[in-house]
Amino acid sequence: MKRAWNAVYWTVPSLVCLAIYWLGLKSWFYQDDFAWLSLNRSLQEGARVWTLLFGPQAQGTIRPLSERAFFMLFEGIFGLNALPFRVAVFLTQFANLVLVCAIGRHLCRSRAAGLLAAVLWTVNSALATVMSWTSAYNQVLCAFFILLSFWCLLRYIETEKRIYNLLQWTSFLVGFGALEMNVVYPAIAAGYTLLGARKHFRRTLWLFVPSAAYTAVHWHFAPSPTSGPYRMHPDLSVVTTLWQYWQWALSPVRLEKAGILLPSWLLLSATILLTVALIGYPVVQFLRGRRVYLFCLLWFVILIAPVLPLRDHLSDYYLTMPVIGLALLGGWALADSWKSRWQWKVAAVVLAAIYLGCSVPVARAASRWHYNRSKAARALMEGLARAAELHPGQRILLTGLSSESFWSAVVDKAYLLVGIREVYLAPGAEDVIERHDDVARVSDFVLPPAVTLSALRNGWAVVYAVEEGRLRNVTSAYHAEARVRFSESQQPLRVDVGSPLFADQLGPTWYPIEGAFRWMPKHATVALRGPDAPGSQIHLRGWCPAQQVVTKPLGIAVSVDGIVVGRARLSKPDGVFDLTFPMPGSVVGKARIEVAIEVERTFAVGVDARSLGLAFGTIAVR
Amino acid sequence: MPRLKQFVYCALILVVLVSAASCRKSQITGQADATIEEKPPLLTMVRVADPKASAQLVKGFHAVEGNNWRWTMGRFSVLLSPPPGSGDSGARLVLRFSIPEPVLKALTTVRLSAKVGDVPLPAQEYRTAGEQVYTRDVPPQALAKSIVPVDFVLDKFMPPGKVDQRELGVVVTVVGLEPR
Repeated sequence: MKRAWNAVYWTVPSLVCLAIYWLGLKSWFYQDDFAWLSLNRSLQEGARVWTLLFGPQAQGTIRPLSERAFFMLFEGIFGLNALPFRVAVFLTQFANLVLVCAIGRHLCRSRAAGLLAAVLWTVNSALATVMSWTSAYNQVLCAFFILLSFWCLLRYIETEKRIYNLLQWTSFLVGFGALEMNVVYPAIAAGYTLLGARKHFRRTLWLFVPSAAYTAVHWHFAPSPTSGPYRMHPDLSVVTTLWQYWQWALSPVRLEKAGILLPSWLLLSATILLTVALIGYPVVQFLRGRRVYLFCLLWFVILIAPVLPLRDHLSDYYLTMPVIGLALLGGWALADSWKSRWQWKVAAVVLAAIYLGCSVPVARAASRWHYNRSKAARALMEGLARAAELHPGQRILLTGLSSESFWSAVVDKAYLLVGIREVYLAPGAEDVIERHDDVARVSDFVLPPAVTLSALRNGWAVVYAVEEGRLRNVTSAYHAEARVRFSESQQPLRVDVGSPLFADQLGPTWYPIEGAFRWMPKHATVALRGPDAPGSQIHLRGWCPAQQVVTKPLGIAVSVDGIVVGRARLSKPDGVFDLTFPMPGSVVGKARIEVAIEVERTFAVGVDARSLGLAFGTIAVR
Repeated sequence: MPRLKQFVYCALILVVLVSAASCRKSQITGQADATIEEKPPLLTMVRVADPKASAQLVKGFHAVEGNNWRWTMGRFSVLLSPPPGSGDSGARLVLRFSIPEPVLKALTTVRLSAKVGDVPLPAQEYRTAGEQVYTRDVPPQALAKSIVPVDFVLDKFMPPGKVDQRELGVVVTVVGLEPR
């Protein structure tokens, strides 16, 4: 009987987790998932394993375990079957819940407190994203390493057995492979020992050494962005950001996400009530000499601190680990109240009811939202796969695509995973898509009107309207409309050099297409339309082979209608380059301009007699 | 600690079981219902052997023979797209067919009548075997819609028999509407 109760004790939080986030188990992939799922394809195309695993990617992040290795391994074994990915996320989270239970039990000296802490954490609506979106696995895995490290520390303090200290160090060091957030673990260890086990405090200071080293190495190889949403703002805005996250952590203000509309004063009152309880209770306990209660608040502050300077990028999943501190505190307070007078019991139950009543509906609604988003991405991919089967060799143009579907699947070129190379937005389809130029430019995905007309006239493309759950072929209707709206004689503002659809825009010297690129010799030209307004720029994106920069940087000159607009020197071997030069005012409004590119020198490879300069992907006026 | 170990073992077993259950390298494939394809526009003049027109032969046509023609039954119907402007000026219904010698010998005469939408057209009687054309003017009111059903009826036909188990009417090559 006791064994059965024990089993129930350890599994209840996981069952609650399953009950709330079960849709997360059925979720498919979306957004960043597709970038990570493409890693094995990059490997097949010649990328180095080391670069794929440890090279800074996506805002300079280096997460070899939770993103690179995880996706490469699972995609390699299971392909696009999302279930095993989701099972791995859920199992890791179940382990986290066991650890929270164990930590809570140990910290609060109460079995009930441990169980309640795990339940309070799992119902927090901030977990909906990590329980539904595979790319957020880094949060779950990092939580695992931090919780494991901390549990080992507690055991080490309790037993003095060195094995626990060794395990703590191992878990802490491996945790760097999950998420950068791991660097703050030493602060957690130091904070706890300072408040609850002072004789171990000095020993925990050694943990700061790897964190400092990791921070230095990380900032060297992946400097902090100087613009965009991931730019750090270490100023007073952190206070506003902290308040925002605090409100989200408590949940009442997020009720509208579940479709429950209550007066804002009521939501603010609930937030204030929970705030008073969560801050007041540990402070009172601290004043009574029970200092460890304060550690729970410290946990929240330490783990949220690294993301507070990201004023322009607030994400609820950043709360995954910080709210463990609040859950521990809540569980502890609830367990304490049960040993107190009935007034405290009532107060505790009311506060818990407010929290659960706000958090659970939001968590479930958010989980459903993520699930539906992944479902739409899957339907789009299945439709594209079917369209490619029915129209082999033809490019697919999409119209009627929602902003959500664009940002969930198209922007990360998910279609490459099903073997489709060219998918574009049909001209006009971009009007309904929200712009996030800091992430990607929607216009780069639109096939220019003149090229669209030519492709449809020649039968090189088909047009599909994105409907709920499937794609509808609307080629004839779209073509008829396009003939009226667009002119085939209008030059485009962008040339995808690696697409045959743009062949008419290229000068005679370009070599045939190879993959998504074309090589140029020493000199090459493309025809474009002049910019519509002054202040425009010409952008060139391509690839520089190592042979060109093995001895010295490679000079490149770009001219527009004979006017040299810029020169640059490329030095990154086997790397993508992005060049931007201002357009001369004299070409504004011109129906046709010629962009000429010249490289300093060329090279040849083996028996290939061609003189190769650079490989180009896109040349565009913006 | 022992309980934790038990949990870890249970979790590992669960991982193995679930992985085994889902251990299928899945790729996205094109399901037939993942897209809705465009229907080709209906033809005004139909060569009955043309595969693109088969959807327009709604009733009473047997399979293509000799890459050129189809046997009909006693009643047969097609869907046609009226020619441009026929809603104002009307059109002419044309059926090109032949009556094989053995059929006419058995039936003596064949009388063919037609109806475009709800508008009946005058019948015609055929007494000779070989190539025939049935042609009738169709009034504009019968052609007001973008698709019109045309029903043909033969007064006599060959019932299923020992030589051919199909019901056989005439041998049709072309049916359609011409501008008037």
